[in-house]
Amino acid sequence: MQNIKYTFPNILLLLAFMFLAVSCGRDLSDDATEATFPKNGDVFIDDFSPGLEYLPYGDSNFEAFSVDTDIKYAGSASMRFDVPNEGDPKGAYAGAIFPDNGGRNLTEFDALTFWAKGTEANTVNDIGFGQDFGENKYEVGIENGLQLTTNWKKYTIPIPDPSKLTQEKGLFWYAEGPQDGKGYSFWIDDLQFVKLGTIAQPRPSIYDGTNVTVQTFLGLTTQIPSTRLTVNLEEGIDRTVNVAAGYFEFTSSDLNVATVDELGLITAVSNGTTVVTAKLNGVDAVGSVTLEVSGTFENAPMPPSRNPDDVISIFSNAYEDEPVDYYNGFWAPFQTTQGGNNLTVNADDILSYSELNFVGIQFSENVPTIDVSQMTHFHFDVQVREEVEPGDFLTVRLVDAGADNVIGGNDDTSSEITLTNTELKEGEWLSLDVPFTSFGSLSSRSHLGQIIFVTDATIENIYVDNVYFYKESGGGSSEPTTAAPSPLQDPDDVISVFSDAFTNISGTDLNPNWGQATMVSETTIAGNNTLLYQGLNFQGIQLGSSQNVSGMEFLHIDYWTANSSALNTFLISNGPVEAANAMSVPTNGWVSIDIPLGSFSPVDLADIIQLKFDGNGDIYLDNIYFYSEGNGSTEPTQAAPTPMQDPGMVISVYSDAYTNIGGTELNPNWGQATVVSEIFIDGNNTLLYSGLNYQGIQLGSSQNVTGMEFLHIDYWAANSSALNTFLISNGPVELAFEMGVPTNGWVSIDIPLGSFSPVDLADIIQLKFDGNGDIYLDNIYFFGNEIRIEPELPLTFEDGINSVIAFDNGATATVIDNPDMSGNTSTKVLEFSKVMGSAWYSGVVFDETLRTTPLIDLTNGTVFTIKIWSPTPGVIVRFQLEGGAAPAYEVFQTVNDANQWVTLTYDFTSQVNASDTYPRFSVFPDFDTSNQNPVAVGAIYYIDDVSQQ
Amino acid sequence: MLYNSKDKQGLFISIGLLYSTLLLTLFSGCNVDEMQTVVNFTNVTMEDDFEGSTINNSLWNFDVGTGNAISGQGWGNNELQYYTDRAENITVEDGNLKITAIKESFMASGYTSARINTAGKFEQEYGRFEARIQLPWGQGLWPAFWLLGNNIDEVSWPQCGEIDIMEYRGQAPTNLLGSVHGPGYSAGNAIGKNYKLENDRFDTGFHIFGIEWGPDYINYYVDDVLYNQITPGDVNGEWVFDHPFYIIINLAVGGNFVGSPNASTVFPQTMLIDYVRVYSAEN
Repeated sequence: MQNIKYTFPNILLLLAFMFLAVSCGRDLSDDATEATFPKNGDVFIDDFSPGLEYLPYGDSNFEAFSVDTDIKYAGSASMRFDVPNEGDPKGAYAGAIFPDNGGRNLTEFDALTFWAKGTEANTVNDIGFGQDFGENKYEVGIENGLQLTTNWKKYTIPIPDPSKLTQEKGLFWYAEGPQDGKGYSFWIDDLQFVKLGTIAQPRPSIYDGTNVTVQTFLGLTTQIPSTRLTVNLEEGIDRTVNVAAGYFEFTSSDLNVATVDELGLITAVSNGTTVVTAKLNGVDAVGSVTLEVSGTFENAPMPPSRNPDDVISIFSNAYEDEPVDYYNGFWAPFQTTQGGNNLTVNADDILSYSELNFVGIQFSENVPTIDVSQMTHFHFDVQVREEVEPGDFLTVRLVDAGADNVIGGNDDTSSEITLTNTELKEGEWLSLDVPFTSFGSLSSRSHLGQIIFVTDATIENIYVDNVYFYKESGGGSSEPTTAAPSPLQDPDDVISVFSDAFTNISGTDLNPNWGQATMVSETTIAGNNTLLYQGLNFQGIQLGSSQNVSGMEFLHIDYWTANSSALNTFLISNGPVEAANAMSVPTNGWVSIDIPLGSFSPVDLADIIQLKFDGNGDIYLDNIYFYSEGNGSTEPTQAAPTPMQDPGMVISVYSDAYTNIGGTELNPNWGQATVVSEIFIDGNNTLLYSGLNYQGIQLGSSQNVTGMEFLHIDYWAANSSALNTFLISNGPVELAFEMGVPTNGWVSIDIPLGSFSPVDLADIIQLKFDGNGDIYLDNIYFFGNEIRIEPELPLTFEDGINSVIAFDNGATATVIDNPDMSGNTSTKVLEFSKVMGSAWYSGVVFDETLRTTPLIDLTNGTVFTIKIWSPTPGVIVRFQLEGGAAPAYEVFQTVNDANQWVTLTYDFTSQVNASDTYPRFSVFPDFDTSNQNPVAVGAIYYIDDVSQQ
Repeated sequence: MLYNSKDKQGLFISIGLLYSTLLLTLFSGCNVDEMQTVVNFTNVTMEDDFEGSTINNSLWNFDVGTGNAISGQGWGNNELQYYTDRAENITVEDGNLKITAIKESFMASGYTSARINTAGKFEQEYGRFEARIQLPWGQGLWPAFWLLGNNIDEVSWPQCGEIDIMEYRGQAPTNLLGSVHGPGYSAGNAIGKNYKLENDRFDTGFHIFGIEWGPDYINYYVDDVLYNQITPGDVNGEWVFDHPFYIIINLAVGGNFVGSPNASTVFPQTMLIDYVRVYSAEN
């Protein structure tokens, strides 16, 4: 009903135009003014500005917004936002747009500014302007969200190009979910568009500021992603905003090859290469895309013809599709995925997803759920549209809505499969037929309601086609649809004949001519090389060289056959001496067999030259290898190695050997299936991830590890075939490091922190692991080899940690045992060696590099004392406060008595501003300005007990 | 950019309002032009418009390195740059002097930049000193246009006197500082004032930074705004501004005044100087 009020101005507008149209020949009267839009920049000062409307997102909590007259920055009222708790039945997040549907003329402003504060120092995920529930052509949002504090603070969101906003409706929008499951409140006041005149240094970018090359095909379209702008604000800080493509002006270097529309949609029109670049408000954007258009698109493989009664199709041109709610739910606020059913090539519809983190196809809300209980398999075709890298994955989850037919009710069940970089290939269709047995935890499939694709943005561009369920009719399939199981053995314990998982014996002949009738071929099944014997009578494998497998325990073979009634495996040693082992056929899917080598007696295990199979039918074989079980244990019997790093050079996440970061959460709820526990091994606390899918560690506070060089992890994993470690900085920005698994005992790894670029090492907030199996972890810490600088006043050196740096040209500082206990009973002191050749001004600097609070806060005192031991009398020792925003100050004192401990007092009271802070100070023994030559005769000074009074 | 007495009248009134009820009383009772000594600095004594492609070596000296015997290491401020006379760091181009700070490893420093002075080549007591400059931006950038007493070698700093016409922090793009240093009022105790540009910034266009300096006063200007006057009564020590001074222009990186650059600082950064002009009193 509210809308009536907002259609009214439009009618007036229309009337005004009509009047103009019929009034030719007459001058405009003074009453008839040209239709213009209000230049009012006020959005919410103390109340809704004229025309402003509140429209919450459909699935958000409608009660999140209110006008607060108690808490406000200025005037009589503020906007209050109550973010709900996780799972709030009235809506689990807060979000809305605040439009003026009459439109405003904002061309004379350059920013949206406001004051805000929160009950907690959280980050509001999405906030900006330009959303109007229309095409959002001029949408702007703060990149990485708005960082609230608990005090009122002013925020500025720049307008990328004010000249575009001649009739903007979207004055403000936001979306925010619970933080760690909990709701909170925040306030915004004096929300208004203003002309600041101090927004400068615009740096627009597309494609994350990179120059990318994309192969595409005739007729295909590409949306330019990551259109952003960074500006410098009056406060001297940068602000980055996500900017709708509508603000940019795009150029294609060859319009015959591809065109770009004003919303950044590129269309390939002929073969060739073109470079698409962009400008924002006259400034060239960093980043470009080189589009290589070649030929026509390869459609997904045509699905095999099946009886329509055996198929329930969700998305395929080959079958009749069931109705769905959507192919992309644009699940706010966390989904980034764009696209959906918007690509048609060669009369074939394809689901095209970009900026993918997760996306759901739903059929439960406005359409019936689907009963697939009579089906046996789930089929889909997927093609990755970008380079596939280690750590990339695609998880496909089926969700059953349960008897209540409601997704989000309390009887949902779901299960998922995950494809990794070893299965996915750039630019190639992968056709998957997944038996429901692979979706083990889907306890019901009578009310299926969702299919969800998840990549966590490891893969952002995919095509999906032919999504359907089917029933194997008749006697089952004649070939495997899934790859043989991946072997879990440690490569060190394996001698492999045929497997993608190991290095095979080189020179092996898979089809020696022994007069057999068998047809031998290698076929790729779900991305995995598989050996196929068709019409087996007998078949040999000639090893490239004689093998001594006496140190091995088993011969492992994976095999699959639907039509064989006899199959034997022979092991052959020189002589020849051979022995057979009968295998059970036919199989129901892949069968993995581990034949004890003892059963091949009297074959000489020290001299194996051949394998042989006989029997009949068509046999698929994979992962033929000898192995031993190694230590074979399923949990470590010993503790992880004790770390040896100097505690002064370590920031520890999880270790008994160090003080760990306080408040760290070892099992944050990120929706993972992993079971986390801490166990005691050999008296040592150890972290155990059972059934890892993924698992996070939430650090108690953001860590600056720029002074560190490595991330150390001890891990033990007997049954894992994939394990990645992620370092995550605020943003989040994350990067994976692939770890070798399985392990044979504890493995200690020191990952260079540079490997995690572009993660911001100054702001590490989380670690994450993904993969599979049961993982034991210990001694997770960052460490550096260089001296760690973390002094704390008073500084006694009693912990033996050297937290200072000596300068310049060779001077050294070391913590040593006190050489002269007579005037100073301290056990440890700092030895400063002003060696020959070092700079005349050499000294030691006490720096706060890794501290989060200033080293020196003058509110704690402006007088400093040190104990010093000098080998010569009359030496001047300079003490300087430095490195801060405030000026550096120095005080000089003289050591009158040599060869004994003396205390020097440095009083800065008359010089300094007692509220200033300094990040460091320096002590300069023998600071002799009268002789500014390199030190001619070296000298050693001892320093101790630096304190502030 | 010359100032006639009419402009000054209005400007002095605003300063009076801000600074001194005594002045205000004087102004309210008298005709301003009658009360003050009006000096018109209209006689050009030095002018460099930076035309052509070379730096005028008969006027400017290069400071090279990380400090000298007078300043000490880091030019006395823990600055991070190594000053060079390379064209990458300092050149005349498009009618401007361009001083460019570059992030690079050079002679054990992490940054390079440039600093020039007129010591021994142009030194003057009193007058109007001004330059038209577009400043760089970003955390840790510290450009300056300043004067040092030419007797520094004899009496050392701060006895020689220092007049900072313009100092600026790249992380505060709307603010600048004009100040004087002398015995008893140097470094952190310097006498000066911040000037904040409203609705504009110093890194997006050229601005004129100037002083008018006479026997008992130094007036500070940005564009046509007089924002401060320093007189002997303002300083806590000897007034040491009655002898010739020379000019220094530099772009420092890091140091006590600004702190170090951070990850958001964009390099290279350039300071553009359109001209430097000095006038003496007409007579």
